[in-house]
Amino acid sequence: MTCQDIKEKFPDYLIGDLSQEEKAQMQNHIAACPSCRKELESLSAIWTKLGVLPEVQPETTLRTRFYTMLEDYKNDLGEEKPKTHLLEQIKTWFRPVWTGHPAFQLSFSLLFLFVGLIAGYFITGSRGQPAEISDLRQEVQSMRQTLAVSLLDQPSASERLRGVNLSVNTEKPDSGLIEALLNTLNTDSNINVRLAAVDALYLFYDFPLVKEGIAQTLSTQSSPLVQVALIDLIVNVRERRAIESLKNLIQTKTLHPDVKLYAELGLQKIGM
Amino acid sequence: MVSAMTDIQMMEDVRDGKVERLAVLFERHHVPLFNFFLRLTGSSNISEDLVQDVFYRILNYRHTYKGQSKFTTWMYQIARNTHIDYLRKKKEELPLDKQWNEALCTELSPDEKLEQGQDAILMREALAKLPLKKREVLILSRYQNLKYKEIAELLGCQIGTVKAHVHRAIKDLGKIYFELSGGTVS
Repeated sequence: MTCQDIKEKFPDYLIGDLSQEEKAQMQNHIAACPSCRKELESLSAIWTKLGVLPEVQPETTLRTRFYTMLEDYKNDLGEEKPKTHLLEQIKTWFRPVWTGHPAFQLSFSLLFLFVGLIAGYFITGSRGQPAEISDLRQEVQSMRQTLAVSLLDQPSASERLRGVNLSVNTEKPDSGLIEALLNTLNTDSNINVRLAAVDALYLFYDFPLVKEGIAQTLSTQSSPLVQVALIDLIVNVRERRAIESLKNLIQTKTLHPDVKLYAELGLQKIGM
Repeated sequence: MVSAMTDIQMMEDVRDGKVERLAVLFERHHVPLFNFFLRLTGSSNISEDLVQDVFYRILNYRHTYKGQSKFTTWMYQIARNTHIDYLRKKKEELPLDKQWNEALCTELSPDEKLEQGQDAILMREALAKLPLKKREVLILSRYQNLKYKEIAELLGCQIGTVKAHVHRAIKDLGKIYFELSGGTVS
């Protein structure tokens, strides 16, 4: 073998990619050729010295930025689905007035009466008595909540969905409504109603009752879709108290592998 | 099990819509990728931006992943393009071929100099003085654990050319290191 042939194999020698036979050929050659030996020695020395440069860990912001970007990308993908028009949504709330139980018709009549009273109050230009207006407003809110709670208790899944939708528009939900929503999340037989309940509870997450309920419910849910929705909720609100329940969920043997991965990613995000 | 899934399977899932699986690929590869850019540019801030850009491009070009070559080969291909685009933006007035031969500037604060050994500082300076093209091929083979065959695929050249470049790069680096240290290499 010529010096040229041997030198061409130097790069393979450096990364340890030579066969036993090639290695022996090289050793024989450099034993007899001082020039090749010197060159290989200096190449090896530099190659080894390159190892003194340590691997540097990036700042944690890199990870945060990546997950934010991934989340945004996922949301953008989700937004491509058609959205329900606002007007359509409002129509669906009022559908019980025409088709539902007389109790709903009465409730809605009262609701409209209060709305009418407030509107009339403003139109006639009455001044003063702000306490009365706020009382009326509260009563409207409370009517809405009562209606939502009663809808959540209906045998028809679509009625219950309406109940969830109505509760979303409540400004200050009372504990009764939150309990009803949590109960729906835990016991409702219909997965769509349960998913809607998760979304509704997301809006009220700053209520202590919701935080507790969410952490507890994770272990009782069996549907991967609901589990993923709950993990999303917990991660989005950075609910540290739910970390234990997430860890327990990951340990569950029957857990769907995708949900497991999702829960693990969620844990990492909360930990950041 | 998710952990046993190969990079290729993961990336195929990402391509087919399970974009959340990119997180696993990110966790596996972002540190080596960050170090690749750090050794090319000498700046952590720029390197972090470039890593972010690479994963952004992976998401946007996920449909083009064919699964024929290793995921890392594909990823470093995107990484190289990202770096080239960054150089273009940085110095639009300088022709690209001249930038390739430009040595990068690495400045260490006194604290950083204390933290690192004298050897590491010298080697960092020497590597920074090596022209970009040679530095890149050396980094890919020495630090990124890519085989010469994969680097050839990445650069679109023959495997023999890659080996010749590596050989040349080490020799030149040796000379620069020798000059900087004012002593012997070994």
